Amino acid sequence: MHKMVAADVDHAPLERLDGRQKITGKVRYTSDFALPGMLHAKVLRSPHAHARIRSIDFRAARSLTGVVAVVTGADIATLPDPFYGVGIRDQPVLAIGKARYIGDMVAAVVAEDEATACRALDLIAVDYELLPALMSIEDALSPSAPDIFEQPSGGAPLIVGAGAQSLKEPAKNTLYEFRYGRGDADAELARADHVFTDTFYFSRIHHFHLEPYVNVACAEADRIEIWSCNQDPFILRNDLSRMFGIPANNVRVHTAMVGGGFGAKSYCKMEPLVVFLAMRTGRPVRLCLTMDEAFHTLTKHAAVLTLTSGVSRDGILIARKSDIKLDGGAYSDASVSTTIKTGYRITGPYRWKAVSTVASSVRTNIIPGGSFRGFGGTQSSFASESQIDMIARRIGIDPLEFRCKNLLSPGEPFAPGDSAIDSDFELGLLRLAAKVGYVDRPKVPGRGIGLSIGLKDGGGTGNQAQAAIKVTDSGDIIVQAAAVEIGQGVGTVLGSIAAKILDRPLSAVRYAEIDTDHTPLDTGTHVSFATTVSGRAIEQSAHDVKRQILQFAADRLGCTPDQLTLSEWTIRIGNRSHDLRAMLRDYYGPVGTEFVGRGSMKIPYDMAAPLGSQNLFWMPCWSAAEVDVDAETGQVTVLRLVVGADAGRAINLAACHGQIEGAALQAFGQSLFEELVYCGDAPANADPATYRVPLASDLPALFESFVEQHRMGPGPDGAKGIGESGMLGIAAAIANAVEDAVGVRITKLPITAERVLDALDQKRKAALTG
Amino acid sequence: MVEVTFCVNGRERSANVPTNKTLVDFLRDDLHLTGCRISCDTGVCGACTVLVDGSPTAACSTFAFEIDRSSIETIEGLAAPNGNLHPIQLAFLKADALQCGFCTSGFILTVKALLEIHPSPDEPTIREWFKANICRCTGYKSIIDATRLAGAMMLEAQP
Repeated sequence: MHKMVAADVDHAPLERLDGRQKITGKVRYTSDFALPGMLHAKVLRSPHAHARIRSIDFRAARSLTGVVAVVTGADIATLPDPFYGVGIRDQPVLAIGKARYIGDMVAAVVAEDEATACRALDLIAVDYELLPALMSIEDALSPSAPDIFEQPSGGAPLIVGAGAQSLKEPAKNTLYEFRYGRGDADAELARADHVFTDTFYFSRIHHFHLEPYVNVACAEADRIEIWSCNQDPFILRNDLSRMFGIPANNVRVHTAMVGGGFGAKSYCKMEPLVVFLAMRTGRPVRLCLTMDEAFHTLTKHAAVLTLTSGVSRDGILIARKSDIKLDGGAYSDASVSTTIKTGYRITGPYRWKAVSTVASSVRTNIIPGGSFRGFGGTQSSFASESQIDMIARRIGIDPLEFRCKNLLSPGEPFAPGDSAIDSDFELGLLRLAAKVGYVDRPKVPGRGIGLSIGLKDGGGTGNQAQAAIKVTDSGDIIVQAAAVEIGQGVGTVLGSIAAKILDRPLSAVRYAEIDTDHTPLDTGTHVSFATTVSGRAIEQSAHDVKRQILQFAADRLGCTPDQLTLSEWTIRIGNRSHDLRAMLRDYYGPVGTEFVGRGSMKIPYDMAAPLGSQNLFWMPCWSAAEVDVDAETGQVTVLRLVVGADAGRAINLAACHGQIEGAALQAFGQSLFEELVYCGDAPANADPATYRVPLASDLPALFESFVEQHRMGPGPDGAKGIGESGMLGIAAAIANAVEDAVGVRITKLPITAERVLDALDQKRKAALTG
Repeated sequence: MVEVTFCVNGRERSANVPTNKTLVDFLRDDLHLTGCRISCDTGVCGACTVLVDGSPTAACSTFAFEIDRSSIETIEGLAAPNGNLHPIQLAFLKADALQCGFCTSGFILTVKALLEIHPSPDEPTIREWFKANICRCTGYKSIIDATRLAGAMMLEAQP
């Protein structure tokens, strides 16, 4: 048994750098941004799930007073490259020849004001030829199904490493397939004492970010400038450069504070459309989507996961074969990388002799699936942690003990060729069990406790961040990085890293607004990456400045830098001290000077690692739910929810709790009630009035987060990211608790009263007939 | 056009407003009070909450002409004229009760109305009041903590 250490070390609370702006209402989001002479755009969307566009008559719309331009796919098709998507690029800026889901963008109107643009949309007549709609994975894979794409799409599958294969469009309506294997899974399963096959159904949800999707652009034939809520300024710059055939140094992206995204605002979305409209009209154009439109833009992937796992008599996991199908929806977006990550993570935090995984993303006539906090890790964790619990109960071993027997240890590689586990999974699991009183829980009818350990990799595949800090002669610091402040508190974390090294208060730091002309590049605000990767780049930047300061002082004082220390903006040598600002002014004159420090971190590619680069750090999510199940109604009440993550070393402890709790509540909603439902070929609740997200009144009576600090992370002082962690383990913990309470297993999200009651009825019937 | 006379953040104003203009557009576009946010635009999420005669009101689902002879309070009116923050604002900072901030103005105003009626609210009361405001970032726990902290600070400040 491990020695328990304090989960939360003492830590001076940090006040968020953006806190005062936000509590006074003064913070400026992209939605508050305007330019003189700005026009407004609105988008016409397809009412049909799958239809050929025969013709579009927009003459009446174009002649409406106040309308400046109407644009369709025919105009878009003239771009050097009208398609976008991550890896595989199949999504046109506006539908070209065919609409592929209800909500697909078919035409756009630009007018002097939004109301006129909306009126003009009603005047556009589109002649559609309806095609069969493929509304499920099964429909899309049926031999008689029509092709959603008749031609191969552009782009390429992402490159993977040892033991893995990456296949673009390998079969009808299959966007992408990922395969990974090690050992001989079939042979190991044949030798295993027990083999279990189970199928799990993961539901579709929407991000429900409060700040709308919004962009303002101005553009000329050879120059683009855009103010965007997108969280990937440099990816966006590359996409715009490629699509419009304009060199990247003539594409300038500004990113203000972002009002929530959770993945929705990653990668290219409607930005090229806004640029196109600005280019066409020669005036600045703003496009702000409604929340209904956001629902029709991106979802979290629904998925079907079938796991076959072998285990020995004494409870040692042997091998796992997995067949995973994600519903990718109509367009690629981030389906390729989500598929890879779902497939690769399906083995969870455990040791296996052999693994064989096939994961694919299937094209359907549904809203595209894409990035959503957890990025495949939620799908795989739900299936894997449900099945681990089921296996434990089937072979008569307590689920906690079963997990402890099989967990990977710190220092052990996740898979051959990949990085070592940098967290003590067992320590966190035992702390979780102690917090919920798991071991000695009294058996109360209808009550149960479920545990789980969600897991995902963090930091990204081959990612990089560059960063800089500028420090004035008064010791005021400007931190420059492309990590977007999306609510996670990245400015505060990066600022405190720099402030600590230069011995300055956090109040002396400002996090600069992002502008690709000035901000150092990174690969996007993804995969809980900023604390670790941008954090290391900022750490180097601050050390760079400190070195410059000490060298300056040494030159002035006629000594060597190692004789000097810097504290409270004072240079100390022995027991003498010199005010640094005064020294700088003496030398540089009344305007003073500025130090600029730079840093960068790149995760190297490594083809010996299964995903083509070793994973940077591991993000466990220890989750426990205590539930009460009403046997008459099937209603599940979560009495207590406990969720923990490993921050390595917490730089801002309060923000860590906030990240974990926020993610956990998103997963809690998905587990019990939140779902984007389709009825026939149309979404039934893709609007804020009928889509239900968790409210404060939905919180479990007891809701607790804990922060482990195992100090093994690759970030500053052992830190690592946790932004997605809290999402990973919740659904399985609740499903496991339901089985613990009433002996039925729910394998389909959400865990509604109807599903539980149905399972209870089947169990009663089986007991009667058995 | 309708002529309306109203008080906003303690200042008497009058204006001619089109009959189809919403209060949120009037506040943001005409009065430049952009701390009032547009999110769901259907009266569900609470991001546009302002106080109309002390009651939390969805500005996206209220016409501007409806505020005639009313007193409006927005997030911009909360801090003292000298810039001193309101105890609720301080409590939100101290409890780290915000992330992206898009819901924050609305939540702070809802808390102000709540604490007028329940100076020392218990948790069920707070959860019930928060049914009109959605936060997708925090998981609400820190906002509930901030509310109780603000209540305690305000009671302590009373003579």
